[in-house]
Amino acid sequence: MPEYVIVIIIIAVLLLIPVVWFIVTMNGLRRLKVKVNEAESGIDVALTKRFDVLSKMVDTVKGYTKHESETFEKVVKWRQNMPDDMSVKQKEEFMEKMNQVQADLNLVVENYPDLKAEKVFTNLQRSISDVEEHLQASRRMFNANVSRLNSRIVSFPTSIVAKQIHMEKQPFFEAEPSKRQDVKMSF
Amino acid sequence: MKRDLAYYQKRKSFAEIGVVAGILLMALFVLLSIVTEFMEFYTILMVLGLVLIFVGTGLFQWTQRKFKQEYLKSYLSDLIEDGEFIPKKGFNRVQGLHPNDVYMSEFIERADRYYSYDYLHGVIDGIKFQSSDVHLQRLEYRTYTDSKGNRKRKRQYVTFFKGRVFHFDFNKNFDGCVLVLERYRPRSNRKYKKVELEYVDFNKKFKTFTTKEHTAFYILTPHFMESLMKVEKENPGNVGFSFIDNKLYFALHKNRSTFSLRPFRKIDERYLQSIHDEVEMIYNMVDDLKLNRNIFKED
Repeated sequence: MPEYVIVIIIIAVLLLIPVVWFIVTMNGLRRLKVKVNEAESGIDVALTKRFDVLSKMVDTVKGYTKHESETFEKVVKWRQNMPDDMSVKQKEEFMEKMNQVQADLNLVVENYPDLKAEKVFTNLQRSISDVEEHLQASRRMFNANVSRLNSRIVSFPTSIVAKQIHMEKQPFFEAEPSKRQDVKMSF
Repeated sequence: MKRDLAYYQKRKSFAEIGVVAGILLMALFVLLSIVTEFMEFYTILMVLGLVLIFVGTGLFQWTQRKFKQEYLKSYLSDLIEDGEFIPKKGFNRVQGLHPNDVYMSEFIERADRYYSYDYLHGVIDGIKFQSSDVHLQRLEYRTYTDSKGNRKRKRQYVTFFKGRVFHFDFNKNFDGCVLVLERYRPRSNRKYKKVELEYVDFNKKFKTFTTKEHTAFYILTPHFMESLMKVEKENPGNVGFSFIDNKLYFALHKNRSTFSLRPFRKIDERYLQSIHDEVEMIYNMVDDLKLNRNIFKED
């Protein structure tokens, strides 16, 4: 094989290596972004479930107190004014509003022992605890994926690829300081 | 009939003395045969030695069987609600159980030789559990060169698991399967994916595999991961957990049988305390892992 052909092959390979690396890194980042999106949709599902169970609970306590129903109706109206694809910040806000309703409901239950003894309500309380666990799981999964993506975006040399494809650091789904601990349920 | 510990200890001592005396007689026979001219009397020594070893071993086995059936059975049922200890039974085909009860954990390798015994089941804080000692061996071929320089192949059974396998009812309903493994790997046709949780030390200690990422995060809450770390700390390097079909499988490799008598270890209060500790470990599992916190399942 003539020498110049070997030189051309070497140059071609040397040029190809960064191209292949760029493509592989880009695909890796995009895959991570997809995982973040999937995890975010998990949060949506959990928030919706929580909203549904909460609305059933509010219906059950309607006969006992008006205040909680009114608070919840405000949440419903707020949600209706929000777009379907809420931002992470809006989702945090939505969660915080539901936390407030739930905390109020817990107080109501404490004041009405009859309600506490009702099987339908007890089952709803179990459901809400489970939904809350699912929500926490989705939130943690989302944050774990965001953390992985963000650390890749800021690390050199992946940061070069991230800049080229306009991929930016994603926000975490933060629990409000008052809600960083599990929501306390009383039975 | 439950007798006191001294009864079993006395028989166990006789058995141990018999075996030791037999071994000494055999050693004497070999020594005399080498250093002096062979005499017929030596044969008597050998036969007597063999008989003592045989009788001693038999008596040891008999004592162990009686101790488990009479003493431990009643002792364990007193410690555990609805507790039943069946030494002859295990995760095998006797009385409706099956080796699959072990393999369903999806991380224990299928064995070429399978033994299971000392079955214990009961209820702790409302949580049903089953457990059994399991001894698994795989067939291996070893090549070696004999004294004439020929390469030969020898088959041998090698123990890869000797310990206890537990099943617990789990307090959450979940889709998919999760494996938390230390010295094992998934052994199933399911498509397991490795998942990294947010707890760095946990990821260093365990490899977590799941068929559904969300389920891994749902089951492995921060508190639950702490509890698994605690269980691991008490049994370093030897634990495996799986969460399948709303059950928790727990395998603990100990390289020994849990309830079997050990030679030259006295059957006394200290020995009994070690049995008590084994049961306490099950209680701690239920408590630490909050398996009794059944607030997620509807009545």
